[in-house]
Amino acid sequence: MNAAYVARQALAYLVLLVLTFLICFPLIWALSTSLKPPKDVMATPPRVIPLEVTLANYRNLITGKQQYFRADQSYVPTTAAPQYFTSWFANSVVVSLGSTCISIVISTLAAYSITRFRYWGRRIIPYFSLLGYMIPSIILVFPLFLVMAEFRLTNSLWSLTFGYVSITLPFCMWLLWAFFRGIPIELEEAAMIDGAGRLRVFVDIVLPSALPGIIAAAIFSLIVSWNDYLFARVFINSIENLPLTVGVMHFFEGVHVDWGLMMASAVLMTLPMALLFMLMQRHLVAGFGAGAVKG
Amino acid sequence: MSSSNDWKRADNRIGVLFIVPFAVAALVFMVYPVAEAVRLAFFEHNPLRPEASHFVGLENFRTIYDDPLFWQSFRQAAVWTAWSILLQTVIGVALALLLHLPLRGISVFRGLLLFPYIVPTVVIALVLQWMLDGEIGVVNWSLKSAGLIDENIYWLATPGMAMGSTIALNVWKYTPFVTICVLARLQTIPLELYDAAKVDGAGALRRFFDITLPQLAEVLTVVVIFRTIWTFNKFEEIYLLTKGGPGTSTFNLAIYSFEQSVANLKMGVGAATGVVMMFLLFVGSLIYMRVFRFAEEDTP
Repeated sequence: MNAAYVARQALAYLVLLVLTFLICFPLIWALSTSLKPPKDVMATPPRVIPLEVTLANYRNLITGKQQYFRADQSYVPTTAAPQYFTSWFANSVVVSLGSTCISIVISTLAAYSITRFRYWGRRIIPYFSLLGYMIPSIILVFPLFLVMAEFRLTNSLWSLTFGYVSITLPFCMWLLWAFFRGIPIELEEAAMIDGAGRLRVFVDIVLPSALPGIIAAAIFSLIVSWNDYLFARVFINSIENLPLTVGVMHFFEGVHVDWGLMMASAVLMTLPMALLFMLMQRHLVAGFGAGAVKG
Repeated sequence: MSSSNDWKRADNRIGVLFIVPFAVAALVFMVYPVAEAVRLAFFEHNPLRPEASHFVGLENFRTIYDDPLFWQSFRQAAVWTAWSILLQTVIGVALALLLHLPLRGISVFRGLLLFPYIVPTVVIALVLQWMLDGEIGVVNWSLKSAGLIDENIYWLATPGMAMGSTIALNVWKYTPFVTICVLARLQTIPLELYDAAKVDGAGALRRFFDITLPQLAEVLTVVVIFRTIWTFNKFEEIYLLTKGGPGTSTFNLAIYSFEQSVANLKMGVGAATGVVMMFLLFVGSLIYMRVFRFAEEDTP
């Protein structure tokens, strides 16, 4: 253990810490701003650790009381957006879970089918999905809007749920196809020789071994639909039906932007994904490994 | 014998049954919208007066061809993509090399790395708007107190700076993608290669260029092609930070298409732009499949 070695190690850690800071700082800053009382939000020098911690911003969001403040820092209650924050949150949860469930069920069945049966056209499906998930949402969004309008679904959560299926289905399909290919078929064959039916085999043997792949696909699907802005922006026009991403943009209305409130909503919007991330990190990495990353 | 055949046929029916939901969903949510996007490109379509929609041939394509803003958006998209990919690749590889080091606690850093990927684009765009605010943003304050600048920089209100800021957002969010892919590949390079080179007296830099880089060539090609296709067509990463502005200085094709459809109510022109984007994307995918000879890969 010589001095040069120790110095190199120290340098490596230093660089890692700086990078960690760069990666985390925006979120740290958002959290810090969201915990400050209005008078401290714009104070100079800006402080990362708030002098005074308050949960007022979060309380305002959750109880729906919105207050912009004047330059002299007195509160001005307004009737604008934030009373909807909790509905937006609920909407986001509903459409993300809904579209993820649909995509996962459909693509699990399909992935099993194309890896275990032989029929015309099955080979084309993975390539088709690959092409499908390279198509950007900006191309799909307006035609889908016209379809939804045709079915009188625009401005409803259904339009978003179905809309997100069009972006999550292709890569769920691609990921699960890759995953199902890797599950050895011998176990299933043995069970079927013993007289187990196809459905029985599917439920008892295939699904449990496919579970890691299914979880990875579900996480990516949740992330993509939770984070979407464009579809919601085009499909929904009444304020109470918006998901979070488009909803919080309404906080920019008003004379002064209430950055404390804004950052509190940014933190709350990140929280579910951050929790998912912490609990499921292992599966996320597995998903990256399978090459199915939308981004 | 015949009962076994019956079973086989019934069994195969299950297989076909399992693919039906996908086929239906793919037709409704993927094939139809794309076909409709192509159809719209040849129509004049005002979303407020759908009954007046009519066929105009190549008129929409002529419109975008004659529109300087289209070409400006195209150029800016190319610049945006080139810088984003260059920075993502260089930083991504450097980061992967760093995270590949056998240090105590390195797995914590590896885990953290994925974090930007899960942060909603809306969130990072909001936070950056706050941090980059010209008057009260923390970035200007830090630079000023470090003595690096004297005057406030209006990051999102000056054309070049706005472009730089959107590139920064993109690099922040998607460099982890490059790192993860490269890191996975690094872990499969046989160590003997390095030992042999060390015996031959090759320095660290030499070992990187002679061994590591050639081994990474394949994964980097995949990553660069994929990221180029996606980055070129990004919408939210720019729109949420600058709305394409100031002026039109951060427009790319996606924003151009969006503005034509939403602000100008010319869905046909927006769709024509989309067709151009799809064509470029298709060329990119062909290159990808060509490079990796996808068709030869055997499906069971």
